[in-house]
Amino acid sequence: MTDQISTPAGTENVTSETPAIQLIGLTKKFGDTTVVNNLTLDIRRGEFFSLLGPSGCGKTTTLRMIAGFSDATQGRILLGGQDVTSVQPHKRNVNTVFQSYALFDHLDIEGNVGFGLKRKGLDKAEVARRVNDMLELVDLQGRKNAKPRELSGGQKQRVALARALVNRPEVLLLDEPLAALDLKLRHRMQVELKEIQREVGITFVFVTHDQDEALTLSDRIAIMNNGVVEQCGTPEDVYERPKTVFAAGFIGTSNLMTGTYSAGAVTVAPGIRIELPGHPELLDGSTASIAIRPEKIWIADFEPDMVRVHGQVAATVYHGATTQYLVNISPEIQLTVVEQNLVRSRHDDRWSDGDSVEIGWKPEHVVVIG
Amino acid sequence: MATDAMTQARRGRSVEGKPKFAVAFTALFMFILYVPIVVVVLFSFNSKKSLSVFGGFSTRWYQQFFHDEALLSSLRASLLIAFVAMLASIVLGTMLALALERVSSRPARITGTVALIPLVTPEIVTGVAALLFFAGLGMKLSLVTVILAEITFSISYVAVIVRGRLSSMSDEVEEAARDLGCTPFQALRLVTIPTILPALIAAGLLIFALVFDDFVLAFFTTGVDPQPLSVRIYSEIRMTISPAINAVGTCMLLVSVLLISLSLIVPRLLGRKDSSLDLISGG
Ligand SMILES: Nc1ncnc2c1ncn2[C@@H]1O[C@H](COP(=O)(O)OP(=O)(O)OP(=O)(O)O)[C@@H](O)[C@H]1O
Ligand SMILES: [Mg+2]
Repeated sequence: MTDQISTPAGTENVTSETPAIQLIGLTKKFGDTTVVNNLTLDIRRGEFFSLLGPSGCGKTTTLRMIAGFSDATQGRILLGGQDVTSVQPHKRNVNTVFQSYALFDHLDIEGNVGFGLKRKGLDKAEVARRVNDMLELVDLQGRKNAKPRELSGGQKQRVALARALVNRPEVLLLDEPLAALDLKLRHRMQVELKEIQREVGITFVFVTHDQDEALTLSDRIAIMNNGVVEQCGTPEDVYERPKTVFAAGFIGTSNLMTGTYSAGAVTVAPGIRIELPGHPELLDGSTASIAIRPEKIWIADFEPDMVRVHGQVAATVYHGATTQYLVNISPEIQLTVVEQNLVRSRHDDRWSDGDSVEIGWKPEHVVVIG
Repeated sequence: MATDAMTQARRGRSVEGKPKFAVAFTALFMFILYVPIVVVVLFSFNSKKSLSVFGGFSTRWYQQFFHDEALLSSLRASLLIAFVAMLASIVLGTMLALALERVSSRPARITGTVALIPLVTPEIVTGVAALLFFAGLGMKLSLVTVILAEITFSISYVAVIVRGRLSSMSDEVEEAARDLGCTPFQALRLVTIPTILPALIAAGLLIFALVFDDFVLAFFTTGVDPQPLSVRIYSEIRMTISPAINAVGTCMLLVSVLLISLSLIVPRLLGRKDSSLDLISGG
């Protein structure tokens, strides 16, 4: 607020406060099925924003409406404060990186990357210069004259990225751009993407169904399900403080439990009362859902302030860096516990199936949902 | 046990070894198919006038062909017909293919099927229909009517080939063009057409070859003078059998083989893996 007062009232400073993208009540129906339902979102300038959700939840459809390939059934789309709901795609200052790359087979890499600039009518020297800079950025300056079919998947992906970025759009839309890559290349591209985004400072809207990808890359994440946003917030927000059962279940593994609330705790099974942190706004006798992340539950070396529960190990799964235990704390409730395999834990320290154990967690790691 | 072993052996041979009768049958088929053609080519170089005795090598029949004004004007007519039909059917067939590929409504699917009917209609039916149509309109039969008939016949071929190529091109490619600042028409001109260009070239060459030596349609729709080459050859043979016809036939064969080969090779030369004729040759 003080920002606005201290800056001169030029248009530039006013717009720097307006979100890059505003979706207002955006709805898309195909026939009778509603694919995107009353979506309202503000995406800030320069933000790395992820749309995360399971297959078929409407991520691509949302992106297509922002780019203008698909008409909204209802609602409005604002780009930099301008209503573009019925503006044609080629007139929107938005570029897209398609999931299938969609490179132009008949043009070489230089032609592909320079395509948008040529359309804008820039002179040849300027196009060549900017294409060169961009190819350097994505580390492809040596392949200028190669045709798309001569490139590997990762290289094609970088060409697709360069082709969109070189136009310096206000907003870059990326539809699962890394989905086709193998794990190693994918991790490398994730790092590169993030670096590029920081360097050029363009707003990224990144669609993915990979939660790890969303968590590591994003400034903010919107978790979508069935065409609605279940939760929108920073990676920490959505991971540590899921607001809905879906969000808790979709991001990471979560130990979800439901029970009756009374006097600061939830009874999830006869004799098992789980204390809640702070002062939850719940009525005595109401039903409450709670979640605890597996890595927040300890199976040894408890600290004094921890809540402890008895249970029985039902299964152990070795994951290399971690070991996962499934612990039954009641006939119905099985909790997942993940323990780091640190140097100090020798093999004979481990628990095996059927062992009676005590598990514990800090009360503040219990999250109330909904 | 014994029968088991026998069926084993039989099955083994039919899968692993080449059954002898299949080889023989194929050889016979090729023989019957190509011997007449080989004979035509061979006798076009005969120094004698005989059609049964080979008297030595000469090019006299070619010289006679190249000095026969009637045959030459027919050759020019056939080239003209093939060329115009090729251009027109490429344009119209591509438009049809684009429309059918874009619209996925029921009427469009039905139209798509109807558009394929000329491919399976006996040519003689098409020929008669075209003749009746032109007569009904009171049009005088000429090269124009031949060209019109050949165009209608060729559009289906082009549409099939181009559709095959279009359907393997992701919609996102055209959207990418729009995304990068193209109007719908620019996207078509700068991206879609160049992408399917090899298919267009292949289709064009194929149509040229098909129309150039087409007889049935030409026979029904041609006027008197000049006649397409195939019709001219037919009427000449009915009067006198001159070995010059062998020379003409060999030339036509050469043109056709050349065009078909080009239509197979050009897409590969342009560096596209997908030759559109694979669609027809079943590759
Ligand atoms: N053109 C269309 N006509 C009818 N239904 C469509 C169309 N496009 C998408 N849908 C439907 O809309 C729903 C959402 O599709 P969308 O492509 O947006 O999903 P998504 O979230 O991108 O999924 P994925 O992660 O699998 O890419 C799907 O159920 C799909 O079947
Ligand atoms: Mg999608």
